Amino acid sequence: MMHPRAGYGGLVAFLARHEWRVLSSSAITRVVLVVFAMVLLIAGLLGAARTLRERETVRTFEQRAVQQRLQTTAIRADVAANERGWLALLPPSALAALAVGQGDVYPNYIKVTARSLDAMVSGDQIEHPQAVASGAFDVAFVILFLYPLLIFAISFDLTASERDRGTLRMVLSQPVTLGQVVAGKMIVRALILAVPVVAIPIAVAATASPLDAQFVLRGVTWTMAVLVYGFVWHGLALVVNARGLSAPANALVLAGLWLLLSVVGPSFVNLAIAVQYPMPSRVQAAVEARNATQEATVQGSQQLGQFLQDHPTSANVGRDGMRQFAMLQASRDQRVADRLQAVEASFDAQLRRQRQLASWLSLLSPTMVAQVALLDIAGASTYRFDHFREAVSVFQRDWRSFFEPRVLDAATLTPAEYAAAPTWHYQPELPVFMINRVMLRVVALAALAAVLWWVGFKRYEGYQL
Amino acid sequence: MGAFWTIAVKDATEIWRDGRFRWAAGLLLILIIAAVAGGVHNQSQIARQHADAQQAERDVWLDKGDMNPHAAAHYGAFVFKPVQPLSAIDPGLDPFVGVFVFLEAHKQQLARHRPIEDATPTRRLGQLTPASAALVLLPLLVVSLTFSSVAAERDQGTLRPLLAMGVSRASLLAGKALGAMLPLAAVILPASAVGAAIVFWNAPADPDAPIGVRAFGMAVVYLAHAVIWIAIGITVSARARSQGAALVVLLALWFANAFMAPPLAMAAAKWFDPSPSALEFAASIQDEKDTWPTWDQRVDGVMERFLEGEFESTMAPSNVEVVALLESEADETALYDRRFAELFDLYAKQARTFERAAIVAPTLAARSLSMAFAGTDEAHDRQFADAAGRYRSAMLTTLNSELAASGRVNTFDYVRGRDLWEQVPPFDYDVPFARWALAERWLSAAVLALWLVAAAVAAAWSVATMRVE
Repeated sequence: MMHPRAGYGGLVAFLARHEWRVLSSSAITRVVLVVFAMVLLIAGLLGAARTLRERETVRTFEQRAVQQRLQTTAIRADVAANERGWLALLPPSALAALAVGQGDVYPNYIKVTARSLDAMVSGDQIEHPQAVASGAFDVAFVILFLYPLLIFAISFDLTASERDRGTLRMVLSQPVTLGQVVAGKMIVRALILAVPVVAIPIAVAATASPLDAQFVLRGVTWTMAVLVYGFVWHGLALVVNARGLSAPANALVLAGLWLLLSVVGPSFVNLAIAVQYPMPSRVQAAVEARNATQEATVQGSQQLGQFLQDHPTSANVGRDGMRQFAMLQASRDQRVADRLQAVEASFDAQLRRQRQLASWLSLLSPTMVAQVALLDIAGASTYRFDHFREAVSVFQRDWRSFFEPRVLDAATLTPAEYAAAPTWHYQPELPVFMINRVMLRVVALAALAAVLWWVGFKRYEGYQL
Repeated sequence: MGAFWTIAVKDATEIWRDGRFRWAAGLLLILIIAAVAGGVHNQSQIARQHADAQQAERDVWLDKGDMNPHAAAHYGAFVFKPVQPLSAIDPGLDPFVGVFVFLEAHKQQLARHRPIEDATPTRRLGQLTPASAALVLLPLLVVSLTFSSVAAERDQGTLRPLLAMGVSRASLLAGKALGAMLPLAAVILPASAVGAAIVFWNAPADPDAPIGVRAFGMAVVYLAHAVIWIAIGITVSARARSQGAALVVLLALWFANAFMAPPLAMAAAKWFDPSPSALEFAASIQDEKDTWPTWDQRVDGVMERFLEGEFESTMAPSNVEVVALLESEADETALYDRRFAELFDLYAKQARTFERAAIVAPTLAARSLSMAFAGTDEAHDRQFADAAGRYRSAMLTTLNSELAASGRVNTFDYVRGRDLWEQVPPFDYDVPFARWALAERWLSAAVLALWLVAAAVAAAWSVATMRVE
């Protein structure tokens, strides 16, 4: 039945083929595979629909802004620069269909003005708070929580029942080692779930994104991260199986491990972070900002009021008066903005430090490690929105340097001048930065997986038949 | 003592002697106590910050010096969301809604700065709270206690002798249920006692805050939820082919309830009632404003009406701009009120879908009710937003009518001081009573009660009709 000259690899492949036949005829494997494929598909399709809608909205608003600018005849510089401003929009990323991530918290638009106060304004992302609290039903969620459970569901009885029935002993009377048998079993189990977990989401994501370099690079990184994450859980299953307990005992231990690493661990770490490293209070910052800017605000308002008092209506002060008014307003804004910036900078520095401290604790659970990596790869992490803000602030400087002299001059723009104003084009962050950020996490997961597999096989050497 | 008592004591003793149970129960107890302590710590810290900030804001408002009343309206006021004492037990949606609103002339805003924006991304995986321990971890302990209750007797062949001895199936059911409840009480009672002590120790910042009835409501919800899971556990255990099958089915049900149901229910809610993106929402308000007359047109319009004699003869021409200002302010307030009401109505519809989904997943009903009693759900957030909106329009009315009386809007030499600022009362928000919260979530209460009855009937029916071998 076996080719006599088959080497180690050939033997393992043969055993794997055999295991595949056994596994694929078991009801539990079929249920697991069908459920997994269905859930991945539903989550993926929901994500694709959401991404397409978002892309459409961004396109609509971009065209609207361009149209509006083209239709304008003559416009006052301050109206064009500030009141109307310019919408900087963040289109969905290449893998947006796979994860909502922080996208339901941070808005995908910023209104840019030429003022120094309220230079970049955006409302909060609108989403039912319950939806934010529950998290989205997306592919990342399925992979982080359901994938490990299903790995355990098909792996808790690697050899226990065969040993208890005595069939394992019979198999080992053939010229194969236990290590080879277990290797065959592990390979099949890893592959059987790896195929749907990789293929379905990428296929669905491809329907909602142009297939460019971003898609390919992010897709490859995503696949690697998902696979090493799966291998960690396969490795855990192997180690637990190697202890030689009964199948139900294995199931209980694995369920407990899942609970500890995926649910209790992360939620406990988050509680510890909230108590030990609380994020700086926005409420206090608001009060501080109020105090810091009060004097400048009141003083500025008085100067502006003085101006209006001297010049009862703006209609009859002439262009010189308007220039003077614009100057007063700009200097008031600048004074307030300077004070505000000091408060905001110290808040941001504190926030960054707290996040840094907190992120160390997140290394305690593979689920947390993988979550951070997957969100980053899918372009749904805080980094993406930080990069967006930075890019917009560069654009704001252009916008301001174009408009400021004209606003101070109380100028009226001709259509040609208005058309020459800068426009926003989003340049996605180069994937190399993302890869740089996630590589450490992916390598850490891979190392953990390698250790677990090694320990598992090592322990199987002492397996009691 | 009936046979059921013997069965209950025997089951409880067996469970208690099982080292794994003691480990799990001990761990859960520690987690619940840690969650209560952490929750109370965070809650009291945030509550103090908000109370201090509200006081500081009031001082700033009164001490801002002399200025034109309309400039004062532009200067605006911050209103901080009061933190509910029971948010220590169930923070609910508090981390996901804004913590303060800025109230100013011409513009109305939703509460800003949701704590989740500042948190690390891993925070999205959920935080351990007493509520999540009671609604997610406790049912898992129940599952581990009940999956074998009937199935093990059958697997071991002791079920038939037991019934042959004349033990009725009713006492078997009662015994099994009580047998699971007794060990559970070993976790629930100390946890509640320690939890209540910690909460009581940290007396709420607002001594008038009604927490007694609300806390009682939460306890009832958690207990009812646990009993539902006991009944589900016995039902599955009585019907399953083997202990192993019972465990798998119960774990799947638990996972579906705790992890799949909330995001799926919200996905369904958004599917039926899609919410606008922030971009669309802001644009729709701006679009409507763009159709309004410009300031000059508005002033001309009022002047025309003035000349036609629409206003009282006592009004001077200089009042025209004030009237235009008041009218534009009224239009703006109406627009924002309408848009926000639409948005909150949409949220309410989505929450209703979430509540309906509890028909297939009882944990959702318990979640909704727990948040409602804690005062941390979306309905309470809306109450606060409405109160802030009312406060804003009262503030603007006070300031603007002062202008109308003076008849001077455009001349900034008309300045007022502290006496006028004091006429704007401090913001005072009282959280509604527990019965209001219950009325808002009547559907969840009804569904939870329905589940309680249905699960008990199912357990009775399963034990009455189960296979004996």
